Amino acid sequence: MNNLLIQLKDISLSRNDKSIIRDMSLDINSSTVLNIYGHNGSGKTTLLKILTGITEPTSGKIINNIDQYGSIAYIGHKHGIKNNLTLNENLLYGDSENFYNQNMIDKVIGKYNMGKYKNYLAKNLSHGQQKKISLMKANISSSRIWVIDEPYSALDKDSVCIVDQSICDHINSEGAVIMSNHELIANKPFNINNIEIN
Amino acid sequence: MNSFLKNIKKEFLIASRAGLEVLMPVMYLFIIMVFFNISISYVEKDIIVELIPLMVWISCLLICVLNLETIFKEDYDDGTLDMFVINDRYIERDIMAKVISHWILSNLPVVIIAPVLSLILGLDVKTTYVLFITLLIGTPTMSLIGSIAAALTLSLKKNKILISIIVLPMYIPILIFGTSAVNNSYFGIDYESEILMMIIIFLIFLLVSPIACSKALKISLD
Repeated sequence: MNNLLIQLKDISLSRNDKSIIRDMSLDINSSTVLNIYGHNGSGKTTLLKILTGITEPTSGKIINNIDQYGSIAYIGHKHGIKNNLTLNENLLYGDSENFYNQNMIDKVIGKYNMGKYKNYLAKNLSHGQQKKISLMKANISSSRIWVIDEPYSALDKDSVCIVDQSICDHINSEGAVIMSNHELIANKPFNINNIEIN
Repeated sequence: MNSFLKNIKKEFLIASRAGLEVLMPVMYLFIIMVFFNISISYVEKDIIVELIPLMVWISCLLICVLNLETIFKEDYDDGTLDMFVINDRYIERDIMAKVISHWILSNLPVVIIAPVLSLILGLDVKTTYVLFITLLIGTPTMSLIGSIAAALTLSLKKNKILISIIVLPMYIPILIFGTSAVNNSYFGIDYESEILMMIIIFLIFLLVSPIACSKALKISLD
């Protein structure tokens, strides 16, 4: 049975008298993948930020069961990694609350085929590789909900397969993934609910 | 290793790879002290010695203001601050770790070097010791006050001037008590009440700053 993790009820957000999101309701259940898609400036990132609690909506209610289930891993446009730390150190120090042993870190690095770059400073890695580090951080965390802004941008074909596999593993362990993209997502190894935002 | 120490260790690791940036506050102290001494070189030696604590205090205050912007800026620019605020169960603890590591890396070298420079310039040992104590209490208080302003102005592009405008009036009591304590020591007057007042201000901001910062960070990210 799917458990309700986050529920948005009639959420609206306005900025400078301009309505960005209007009366939106959304249920985020465990073991589900949600794709929020729309054109540039449609409010996808804003909606993700409301889900994470970074942005406060102008009106509406957010019922949040996160405390019961753990925390949220958010990967926004910025990767959330430290340029002057190595890949390994970014995973080791990335989460201020949780402590990961080297075996766990090596396992996730292996999963993303990044073993060769383990001791490279993040600033010396490509944009796609940096994106993979941020995905690895979500992967290694105990977060039940992954909120990812454009998870497939800057990734090559093989990396997209790895990310898909990670998402599969996550929803199989009763996690939930909310992602935003510019277009509808289909043909993935997991069921995906596409929601268009205008 | 607990989470608090883990955060401090991370900050030290990042700073150790930032090159000569760590030495900048000390270099800045040298420059200000040299300029001060050149500008008052015509004044009698006794008066210069009296002015040394004031010089040191103003130098440390300016260095502290210049550094404030960096407390949260890098985390804001690279996106790590988002995670910091989302998982906010222990945000106050994480803010304290950031402010403490910032103070150790940016202000502690100045707190150590400034009394040495004062001794070289002719200040007596006892007054230098009091100067060191006042700086040791005063500079972390300034970092704690400044962290609130840094968090509030984080999303603004040119926030350095605004930070200065916000924090400088709040630094006045610390400057007054700090310089008074050192001057009293120089003239052989009791200075304990000034030190006590500085400790009280420090404790107040130790309690207030993490809470105020967490609110300010949320506003800046919204």
